[in-house]
Amino acid sequence: MFEVGKLRKTILDMAYAGSTVHIACAFSIVEILAVLYRSHLNLGNGHPEDPLRDYLVLSKGHGVMAQYACMLELGWLTDDDIQNYFSDGTSLKGLSDAHVAGLEVSSGSLGHGLSVSVGLALGAKRNRTKQKCFAIVGDGELNEGTIWEALMFAVHFKLDNLIVIVDVNGYQAMGSTQEVMDMGNITDKFEAFGFDTLEINGHDEHLLDKTIHELVNSHSDKPKAIIANTIKGKGISFMESDNRWHYTRLTSETYHQAIAELSEKEVISLP
Amino acid sequence: MRNAFSNALINAAKSDPRVILMTGDHGYALFDEFRQQCPEQYINAGVAEQNMVGVAAGLAKSGFRPFVYGLSAFVPIRVLEQIKLDVCYEQLPVILVGDGAGVVYSSLGSSHQSTEDIAALRAIPHIAILSPADSYEMTQCMNLALEANQAVYLRIGKADLHPIHSCLPDFPLGDLSQIKQGNSKMCLVATGSMVKTAMDLSERFGDLEVWSVPCIKPMNVSQVVSIAKRHELIVVLEEHSIYGGVGSAIAEITSELSQTRVCRIGIQDKFSRFCGSYQYLMKEHHLDTESIFKRINKLNS
Repeated sequence: MFEVGKLRKTILDMAYAGSTVHIACAFSIVEILAVLYRSHLNLGNGHPEDPLRDYLVLSKGHGVMAQYACMLELGWLTDDDIQNYFSDGTSLKGLSDAHVAGLEVSSGSLGHGLSVSVGLALGAKRNRTKQKCFAIVGDGELNEGTIWEALMFAVHFKLDNLIVIVDVNGYQAMGSTQEVMDMGNITDKFEAFGFDTLEINGHDEHLLDKTIHELVNSHSDKPKAIIANTIKGKGISFMESDNRWHYTRLTSETYHQAIAELSEKEVISLP
Repeated sequence: MRNAFSNALINAAKSDPRVILMTGDHGYALFDEFRQQCPEQYINAGVAEQNMVGVAAGLAKSGFRPFVYGLSAFVPIRVLEQIKLDVCYEQLPVILVGDGAGVVYSSLGSSHQSTEDIAALRAIPHIAILSPADSYEMTQCMNLALEANQAVYLRIGKADLHPIHSCLPDFPLGDLSQIKQGNSKMCLVATGSMVKTAMDLSERFGDLEVWSVPCIKPMNVSQVVSIAKRHELIVVLEEHSIYGGVGSAIAEITSELSQTRVCRIGIQDKFSRFCGSYQYLMKEHHLDTESIFKRINKLNS
């Protein structure tokens, strides 16, 4: 389960069926989500509404198709949900929406999800549950001041059950993060705020696995952060780091071309 | 009124460990007693109100009953999107408390004055708006907020004017509260600090009926229609913009369901210009008793 090629194929299927954008935003976090769902999230009784499962907050709500792909693997979504994506009267939206069982927050308006994550992590500690809260934020999202408010709060209240993963794909809606709003050294900034921080390649599943394990099992009372360097549109040659794919829709040609690239890597079979 | 709020809050926290008070570094002496009696249930979230509301949403999702306290210039105005998306969209029972509503912070200027908070929140689904006029209404509003199991905005205006009731009024969520009976063709409807002014005006005009509006949203439509049917003119008084406040709410109902005229007396489409005392600012905005008396006389002439 949670094989990354298959997850990417599901994302392509959804995006093509619904003629939607934000494909590249979803592709940069596929390995992160795969590793989390495969090995680190305690899913409790396996039901999306189990109140005691670990939280996974997708604060960068634009990447939600990657989470839908994982939820299909879990049986929380069906093939019909994927094929009817964006049909009139359906529930799955283009941004993360907490009314969908399995999604924790309504985000996409950026800088919201991390604050709610902090509240969830604080709530878990006060309720004395063992719940962890993983929050995935984008590097473009770091422009929002609320992110830094949330980081201050998390450190001050020693939320050691909060793990923030920053998807550093280097782009935001209108261009590269350096051009739009240079955030400088993100790892230094998280460390300066008081997080236990590690910077890694966000597409290296083995390294992600090891790093998450190390941070989660550390005895530090600090919140944790993983600065995950990723590639926007990862896995598809003509999407990788071409920021037009933040907003570009698939045509029949580009859909089949992308599927073919995935199948060449022998990770999926052709439809 | 602030004592009634503080007492109700302490009682709530002592009887329910899920109650948590969050403040954006405001409140000072108001929370001394709370901090002493319920230290584990007190969180100063720092000068970071937007995050505070998001955290409150997360806590509410985890089963807690957060109160979020701030000046009404900041809660709800600075945090409006967090209220809309993090709290109301998910129908979470967060109680937002905005203190110093209207022009209470007269000498501090427009940054600390709040004359648009009702209008901003009325358009957001799944939130109740409460605006008590005295300590009795405050106690009842706190009861309603705690029973409601939904998002609530509690608007606290000028706190120390005068008691309106002589005992705890037992109004349900949504109801207006009748303060005084009268036989005139005109009646006065007011909220918060302006209920005292309505009482003073009622005496000057003889026998005007006076209603307090402790629940701005939801609002009991049939009650408003009943008031409208008995009067030719309803004068609505509020320490808030004439746009989108209680006057607008009453006018919306009466324009659809009655022939009655509604006169909205509130803050016109302008900011406070000068520094000064609360009384001075109320005069600048023509919300002092004398200015309103003249205005109503003109309406009747």
